[in-house]
Amino acid sequence: MAQLQVDKVSKAFGAVQAVKELSFSVPKGAIYGLLGPNGAGKTTTIRMIMRIVLPDAGTILLEGEPVDDLKRERIGYLPEERGLYRKMHVLEHLVFLGEVRGLPRDEASHRAKAWLDRLGLAEKAHSKVEALSKGMQQKVQFAAAVIHDPPLVILDEPFTGLDPIATRQLKDEILHMTNRGITVLFSTHVLPQAEELCTHYCLINRGRALFSGEAEEVRKRYAKAQLKVATANGVPPPQGVAGVSLVEKRHGFYFLHLDGTEQAPEVVREVANRCPVVSVEHYQPSLEEIFLRAVEEDHVSLA
Amino acid sequence: MFRWRKAFIVARREYLVRVRTKAFWISTLAVPVVLLAFSLGPAFLMARATGTYHVGVLTADQELFHRMERALADRRGQEGSSRIVVTVARLAPAAERNGQREELKKAVLEKRFAAVVVLPEALPSGAEEAKVEYLSTNLSALQLIVTVERAVAQAIREKRLAEAGVAPEVARIALAGVDLLPVKVRQGGEESRESVASTFAVGYVLVFVIFFTAVMYGMIVMRGVIEEKSSRIVEVIVANLSPRELMFGKIFGVGLVGLTQYALWLMLAANAMGFFASSGVAGAAGVLTNPALMLSFLVFFVLGYFLYGSLYAALGAAFNSEEEAQQVQNVAGWVMAMPFLFMVPIMNNPDSTVSVVVSLIPFFAPMLFFLRMVLQFPPTWQILLCFALLISTTALVVRLGAAVYRVGILSYGARPTVKQLWQWARGKS
Repeated sequence: MAQLQVDKVSKAFGAVQAVKELSFSVPKGAIYGLLGPNGAGKTTTIRMIMRIVLPDAGTILLEGEPVDDLKRERIGYLPEERGLYRKMHVLEHLVFLGEVRGLPRDEASHRAKAWLDRLGLAEKAHSKVEALSKGMQQKVQFAAAVIHDPPLVILDEPFTGLDPIATRQLKDEILHMTNRGITVLFSTHVLPQAEELCTHYCLINRGRALFSGEAEEVRKRYAKAQLKVATANGVPPPQGVAGVSLVEKRHGFYFLHLDGTEQAPEVVREVANRCPVVSVEHYQPSLEEIFLRAVEEDHVSLA
Repeated sequence: MFRWRKAFIVARREYLVRVRTKAFWISTLAVPVVLLAFSLGPAFLMARATGTYHVGVLTADQELFHRMERALADRRGQEGSSRIVVTVARLAPAAERNGQREELKKAVLEKRFAAVVVLPEALPSGAEEAKVEYLSTNLSALQLIVTVERAVAQAIREKRLAEAGVAPEVARIALAGVDLLPVKVRQGGEESRESVASTFAVGYVLVFVIFFTAVMYGMIVMRGVIEEKSSRIVEVIVANLSPRELMFGKIFGVGLVGLTQYALWLMLAANAMGFFASSGVAGAAGVLTNPALMLSFLVFFVLGYFLYGSLYAALGAAFNSEEEAQQVQNVAGWVMAMPFLFMVPIMNNPDSTVSVVVSLIPFFAPMLFFLRMVLQFPPTWQILLCFALLISTTALVVRLGAAVYRVGILSYGARPTVKQLWQWARGKS
């Protein structure tokens, strides 16, 4: 059974259809990436899961049952728009949020201290929140989202505003969580990060899923194999080779899009026969390329 | 479903964070200082002002002047605290009257006299009124004017009665005054002496306390809500707290801050009580020591705060900044001030249908129904009805406010529509 099941969910704000019949399924233990350009509907989708806005249509199931206010407590949530009480002390604030999330006071205090140690903020425990840097505040907010050990954690754009070190730290924490069996769903528009972490993706554009599924499967399905070819003096490769659907020139290389990986040997032979090939390598397009292409095609289909 | 534990967590945070701010302690100490300055300042100035006044009297009638002097001396004995007027006379024969008057006018301008009284040349006959001039640069010194007027009036009456051949014993009878003793009669035949003025004053003051508490702390709640929205902290906690828990906790926590402040003030006041005991406050004891009244004061104080606190919280939730909320807030302020228009009619006739109906309107009840309780204890059914109306209205406003809160907080930018509010008010939360 999926940890989280989003089924044909729609939401309109006035005339704007923010999400339209969106479906995806987050398996237990996954690191699930909700990807898409700004305004694609990622945050609205997450807010619907959190019941902050209610969907116009469709269902959202957590562990097989509809999410209600009680079930919602089992989700750790880091919103995109985040804030803290500026005048509170860091430790005190974390204990407060722990209690709000349902922990007894002692336990909240114990865990809050442990988290501050872990995130390297122990000596800031008694500073006021407003005295922390933005990155530090973000760490506190992350700790607040997971302090009650929820089985599902949802992070909305968790990496924005973090420096490389803090980004690394957060990635490690996410990996650590999955090792403990916690399912993570996060949204981002920074694709290399998603590519590094995610076991599953859902790419959203204009409120609809362009594709979703396991990372490897997505790659196989949507990223056609390519050959990256360098030729002497940049002589263009021949046209109309069987098994090649498209030739692109980028950064001085020719990228030959193949219909299938199995055609590669035949294509290499043919091309090498007809032009001065210097090198050929198998090229795996990045998620970013897949993503850009998919979004581009989506907009073409709109026009 | 309403989880008290969660509301309590919110309230505790609200309380602790606010009570430890400098602003809290400054305002706690500043208010009594300002109040003292306001109440004692004028009294102090008055005490200084009641020094010795020199009042010139222009008359040719030596006897009348002496009678006046005596009347002033009598009054001085009566009114202990007001040690006024010593009289210096100028006796002028009829021919020099006008010249003397001009001279005395100059003396008034030169401040040698606080005032000059010009008595008539001859006393009128029959029932005609005597005309007496009072010259001064300051016609607002009411206490002085009244004292002088009474002394002059007494002197003239005495002399006219004597001239009409009335025996002194009879004249004394004719001049004797009446002392009206107000006695308050209560259900069951109990009666008590109360000064009319102090009942009125205490009722008025307590009604003001209820009103200002509701407005002052209501506005703190509103500011808190707006701050919470603009700092985006709501987003972080909204998944784990229902708007009602959050809102109730907030109102409750701020209310506790208010009670703490009042408790500190009461402690200060209790210490200062010895100081005040001699003054008019003693007359207020009738209200302050009546347990039923004090209890109802506390109940109305708390309910009034909750009703208006939730109203202000809803207001805060509907707007993104204080400036935006300002205009509506002003309107709300006028509505809240309406009870004051009804205070005098209710004081004149606490039992009339209008008084009963108006005092039962929940938004007025904390002020007006309480006022009626001070004046004349209303029948039990009215008290029960009043509490029932007030509590259910408060519950409704909290609910409605929570709905606004939910929509208002989460739809940044866009003002919630009435339709949205209605949906949320009915919807699950």
